[in-house]
Amino acid sequence: MKNKIIMFWVIVLIVIASIVTIFVKPTKLGLDLVGGSRLVIEAETTKAVPQITQDVMNRLQFAIENRVNKLGVAETVVQQVGEKRLLIEIPNVTDLKEAKAFLGETAQLEFKKEGKGPNGEQIWVETGLTGQDLAKSTLSTDSTGQWVVSLEFNGAGSKKFADLTRDLVGQQMAIFFDGELQSAPVIREPIYGGKAQISGGDSGFEYSEAERMVNLLNAGALPVPAKIVEENTVGPTLGADSIAKSKTAGIIGLSIVMLFMIAYYRLPGLIADIALMIYSVILFALFKAIPVTLTLAGIAGFILSIGMAVDANILIFERTKEELRAGRNLFTAINSGFDRAFTSIFDSNMTTIITCVILYLLGTSIVKGFALTLALGVIVSMFSAITITKNFMHLIFGTGELKYPQLFGLRKSEIGKGFEASETKRENARFGILD
Amino acid sequence: MAEISKHIIDIVKHRVIWLCISALLLLPGTVALIYSAIHNENHIPLKVGIDYTGGTILQYGVNEDINNSDIAKTRTDLEAAGVETPMIQILHTSANSTAENEKIGNIKNIISIRTKFIGENTDGVNKITEVLSKDYSNPELISVSSVGPTLGNELFKNSLLALTLAFLGIIIYLSIRFKFDYALAAILGIAHDVLFVVGAFSLLGIFYNVQIDGLFITAVLTVVGFSVHDTIVVFDRIRENLRYYSKKMSFGEIVNASVNQTLARSINTSLTTLLTLLALYFFGGVTTKDFVLAMILGIAIGTYSSIFFCSVLVDIWEDRKNNKTPAAKSAAAV
Repeated sequence: MKNKIIMFWVIVLIVIASIVTIFVKPTKLGLDLVGGSRLVIEAETTKAVPQITQDVMNRLQFAIENRVNKLGVAETVVQQVGEKRLLIEIPNVTDLKEAKAFLGETAQLEFKKEGKGPNGEQIWVETGLTGQDLAKSTLSTDSTGQWVVSLEFNGAGSKKFADLTRDLVGQQMAIFFDGELQSAPVIREPIYGGKAQISGGDSGFEYSEAERMVNLLNAGALPVPAKIVEENTVGPTLGADSIAKSKTAGIIGLSIVMLFMIAYYRLPGLIADIALMIYSVILFALFKAIPVTLTLAGIAGFILSIGMAVDANILIFERTKEELRAGRNLFTAINSGFDRAFTSIFDSNMTTIITCVILYLLGTSIVKGFALTLALGVIVSMFSAITITKNFMHLIFGTGELKYPQLFGLRKSEIGKGFEASETKRENARFGILD
Repeated sequence: MAEISKHIIDIVKHRVIWLCISALLLLPGTVALIYSAIHNENHIPLKVGIDYTGGTILQYGVNEDINNSDIAKTRTDLEAAGVETPMIQILHTSANSTAENEKIGNIKNIISIRTKFIGENTDGVNKITEVLSKDYSNPELISVSSVGPTLGNELFKNSLLALTLAFLGIIIYLSIRFKFDYALAAILGIAHDVLFVVGAFSLLGIFYNVQIDGLFITAVLTVVGFSVHDTIVVFDRIRENLRYYSKKMSFGEIVNASVNQTLARSINTSLTTLLTLLALYFFGGVTTKDFVLAMILGIAIGTYSSIFFCSVLVDIWEDRKNNKTPAAKSAAAV
């Protein structure tokens, strides 16, 4: 019994921690539930790309999606509008500023060499080597401890770079990022192996500056520059009216479930209801702590996990009732009820978790969100049913014979007549059965 | 032994009937799927919404405040006028919004309506403008633009691949914890339930023009999750009873007893989940109705299949094996 009381206080602590988390952390809801920011960007032509074709738009969309995902903004929508615009919807307005800065940069990396302009002045001319020839970019430091951006070219890029540096021995090669000169080192010898570094010129890079460049380079350059032409906050895609109604409906539904549990399972039903409320609090706190951007898909996962949590309780109570009908005392009945229900709860939840892990690893957007909330829900529901419900049952009912069968929704006449419980000797020992 | 042989439903005796009922339940939907796959554009067996196809966004500026009941009214009015599943969002122009919006002058809110493709300056646009003119004073059409799909083929292919691998995972896990037979029956149970739900939506698409949206994928995943969960509980009981009674009772009797012992739990679990979903269906928002309906159908059929389909399959397979064994023995004796 002492363990049970310690466990009770552990549960209380977890609940308090969860409530604090809920109050401290913001809720992240998806576009479908709260809306967010809607940006429209327009592709602009350049000398190199004089016309915006569908192919350019596809590449632009891909690059933008890549970038937004790198930002860690979940559940973002990017779609083409008209011929040369993209509509980007981002949940959580707070991310907007960062997102805008990110979208504004084309991240064009260019390598240029010295040349002569039409009037004989010195200019930088294009060499054909650009960010498209990159395999990846990493952040590192050079021998003097300065932050530098390391570049690794792909196959074709390595060759171009080797040829270029061979031609330019003794001359300067300039590296431009978004039209801005980053550095212009003098090439002393041809560079083979497809690796290069960008140092921040004389002043050097700030850490954040270099990190941003690395992120942008890895996310991929935009094929053309794009400017933001529209910027609004939007209401939820599911319609504010629908969501308000569904909220009420959800509360009605859950209340009916709770009443049903009490009506059918009596006192244990009430205990299950309390366990369910604790379950919801813990799960919600987890969603906030991770944080999970909740969309309707996520809420579907949540509802399913509530269903499974209720199911775990129902399984346990049905087994406990069977044990009581067989004439067991309370402590034994509760223990063996839990124990017998456990294998089915464990196996069914394990398959759900396996499914979720695979869906999460391989799925995209909505599928990922669903898998994550369901998996979290199932894990917490196992804890809730096995630990919380069991602990409360033992603390409330204690040991001894069942004096008031109606507390379990049983009749006195049913006791001792029912199903002949069978177990092995080992199980008898475990449940503490002496008959 | 009193309780264990007392039955409410005799699964094993009428197993042919149960399988026939399953076939009857699945037939109309399957026919609808095949019919739609042949007749629909792109040969997709379901009517797909603008999430998959793309569509048109119309933006209207209005100089008044808009609350939830206004949106609800506009939605009903648009649907009454024959605009299919309009997606309505309210936009608030931010302070530094662009010249394009500023030129229109004093606009408080922008109503954004997404629907299937309609051309600029066509009857479709006029129809929507007409409805909005009734609901708001002087709505101004700011822009009409076509948008691409938010859910591409990629997502679909990706989800199918993920689901196939998840099925493999389930088969492996259940083969280890139970037997390969049970794993196969559970997977067939999932297929049974998903086919029913997808078929039902194909039928709804044909007769009521119901379109599936991005949420449908989620609903189907929920059905998969519930289906296998429900089946395992019944199988777990069979596994447990086999441990204690395999010498005293035949496999069929054990299946019968197990299904009946878990019956109260099966019904109660489905009932509690259905209660929440029914509340959402009848009192919840319009935009999620089809999503909730898919889950209701899935959970109802999932309960049916775990009792009357998966257990029956396991029983039939076990019988086959037992019939083969004596035959093989007698053949060996000759």
